[in-house]
Amino acid sequence: MTRLSKQTLDGNVETLILAVLETGPSYGYAIVKELNERAEGILQLGEGTIYPVLYRLEDKKLIAARWRLAENGRQRKYYRLISKGHKALATNRRQWQMLSAAMGKVLGSAQNLLPKPQVKGATI
Amino acid sequence: MSRALQKYLDQVILYANRKEEDAAKIRTELEDHLRQKTADLAAQGLPREDAVFQALEDHGHPRTIGYGLRKGFALCDIRTEGTARGFVAIGPRAVGIIAFGNIAIGLFAFGNLAIGALAFGALAIAGLLSIGGISLAPLGAAVGLAAVGQGAFGMIACGGLAVGLRVPWAIDGVSLLSGENGLQFLQHFQTHEGTVALIGITLWLFLVVPVLNGVMCSIKKNEYLRIQKADSKLIE
Repeated sequence: MTRLSKQTLDGNVETLILAVLETGPSYGYAIVKELNERAEGILQLGEGTIYPVLYRLEDKKLIAARWRLAENGRQRKYYRLISKGHKALATNRRQWQMLSAAMGKVLGSAQNLLPKPQVKGATI
Repeated sequence: MSRALQKYLDQVILYANRKEEDAAKIRTELEDHLRQKTADLAAQGLPREDAVFQALEDHGHPRTIGYGLRKGFALCDIRTEGTARGFVAIGPRAVGIIAFGNIAIGLFAFGNLAIGALAFGALAIAGLLSIGGISLAPLGAAVGLAAVGQGAFGMIACGGLAVGLRVPWAIDGVSLLSGENGLQFLQHFQTHEGTVALIGITLWLFLVVPVLNGVMCSIKKNEYLRIQKADSKLIE
């Protein structure tokens, strides 16, 4: 399966994480699983790479974190979206919709972007 | 729990270079992630040891994760990979007040490509003073083999006041090739300001730059030694 390159993903992982946290508080491993499930394997993030992003979002006050005892008895850090994060997500979502619409118009529909099957031995 | 997992976490924390309290929290969080991933993989039928290695592989290289977990803009950020950001930044790419790297951007920038208020490098681009092989300072002084600036000093010098062997497009150019112009060159430094500028540039070239270079190299070496001491296999 074709995966998105790092360059394409850079800068957008923050929005993806905010979108996952929109549904409720979650922790690192669950966020990664949720992201991979929603993206149907197209993203395939290095799992550890979300932690620098989570810490960055926390520094920007877009999400808040709290340590709680997990069901397995270990301390676990849960992240939740806060008001500034909700606003940022709404803005990013609007921008993505605009960009996606513009890209679709220029490049054609997603169906047209798939490589066409090659016919062997075809002559003109 | 597997020694491989603990070693992986040690490496991440080593590269993250955070305060002990922060490091402990990061370690707890990552360990929880890796344990849960391992358990999930084992539940899918993978042998325990294979599950651990798969979890570590999926997690990413410890250096990448560790560097990612460093503070956004530290007092001193030294890296062997990626972009260093800090008051003093040293790495392959460096952004900071004092930046030292192959590509350096900062108030004081030293590097193969240096961009800053004061820049020193093979290709130096500066607002105030650039010193390098090719030196550009559109608003200030440039010193280099090829120099372009309000004041340009070099083999090829272009600018408001250009002093060099070849001075194309200069408004007030002086060529050292010609005897008469050689005298003019000296006259530029007969004024008080000229003397101060000359002393400043000489000090910069022969004192400040080598000293700073030495300090930066020493800091970089210390970082390598710190990593090597913790795990010699990390430095190859």
